[in-house]
Amino acid sequence: MEISTIECVIESLIFSYGDPLPLDKICEILELDKKTARSIIKNMMDSYNTSNRGIIIREINDKYQMCSKPEYFDYVSKLYQIRQKQALSQAAYEVLAIIAYNQPITKAKIEQIRGVNSDSAVTRLMERNLIKEAGKLDAPGRPRLYETTDEFLRCFGFKSLRDLPLLDIDDLSELSLQELVDEVQVEDDK
Amino acid sequence: MESSLTKACTLKLDNFEGPFDLLFHLFEKNQVDIYDIPISSITDQYLDYLYTMQQLDLEVASEFLIMAATLLHIKSKTLLPSKKEEKQEEQDPREELVRRLVEYKRYKEFTKELKEMEKKWDRVTFRLPEAIDLPVREEIMEIDPQVLRQQYIAILNRNKKKINLGAKNITKLVEHEKVSLRSKMREVIKQLIHRVSFKFSELFSFKTKSKTEVVTGFMAILELAKMKKVKIVQNQQFSDIHVISNAENEKEEYELYDDIDENISEF
Repeated sequence: MEISTIECVIESLIFSYGDPLPLDKICEILELDKKTARSIIKNMMDSYNTSNRGIIIREINDKYQMCSKPEYFDYVSKLYQIRQKQALSQAAYEVLAIIAYNQPITKAKIEQIRGVNSDSAVTRLMERNLIKEAGKLDAPGRPRLYETTDEFLRCFGFKSLRDLPLLDIDDLSELSLQELVDEVQVEDDK
Repeated sequence: MESSLTKACTLKLDNFEGPFDLLFHLFEKNQVDIYDIPISSITDQYLDYLYTMQQLDLEVASEFLIMAATLLHIKSKTLLPSKKEEKQEEQDPREELVRRLVEYKRYKEFTKELKEMEKKWDRVTFRLPEAIDLPVREEIMEIDPQVLRQQYIAILNRNKKKINLGAKNITKLVEHEKVSLRSKMREVIKQLIHRVSFKFSELFSFKTKSKTEVVTGFMAILELAKMKKVKIVQNQQFSDIHVISNAENEKEEYELYDDIDENISEF
């Protein structure tokens, strides 16, 4: 099959499926290996993005979905009665950030980092399907573990968790206060 | 002299998510570098804030109190003179707090990014999948009547093997013994009317009782322990279990018995 034909098939598949279409499914239908399929789709995504179109293909955790370009939303929204989504609280964003970087994580650990009770934020994030339970920790009391969902990736435009910006929090625990001060001064000098 | 109420208004009370947020607010107010916290003055201001809350009869959340204790602890450490040679190795007492503050602040910073990204990706629309009706393919099955017959015979043969041929020789069925948890609980309590404690093996031993009875007996003492009627003591693994009455005196013991009677009706 010609590459151009494969592109046409993939385009029709993603369009027809509506929901994010798993890469495996595409490979199965076209009898392609993952690597080839990925690179073809990557090319398609680039061309959608750069050419004059109102539609893009986006990637969510190895699944692909067509959606309208965000920059034309003002026009698209005239088609619909847009329901205002209840915005998340600052606390909920903080909890989400902590879970994103430390998953799977217990509520106790989240509260340790924030220094404050986080029950309601966790509940709210569960309701919004941005986080889900990820089993239980093998420790006394078997506390619940939490992780982020595909919905989280979708809402914030991450392709996958590897897409999260580096926070270099891990090296923090290794540093002494003096080193921290030095580090900050170096950053200030830049 | 300002009243505590006006003071509270300037404090924007409900704005602080937690003790960290309050600390950041104090740092900002005092233009403090997070890596060089003037622990003494920050601690005083922090405590002032809590006092104000208390004066206003606001419930001070426990997290705020824990932080207050932490701050005071650090302050006391910085005030205590330390020996010269120790000073070399000793950590700055503020270190742990600073580390936690910095870590928290990084996540807090990242939330700004999250909000930006959400704002952008909230502006895309996509189609939901449609139910596509594809023509139904009818599968025509062709079955040879002979095959059906062979299959049926195969099933009959398989079932023959399952039937126990010795079944007709059975003349006596094993009695299903009935041991109720309730009766065993009574047994335990009866024992404890006459004495304060007994060994589990005295009452329930495999030598004298069936397996079911011993197991039910064990469940009975667990139930009674749950009801706080007896105490169970075992000195080491697999050693004998001592069952001790929880009743204070003889009179109570008899009451205990009546009491149990009502209580174990559910078993």
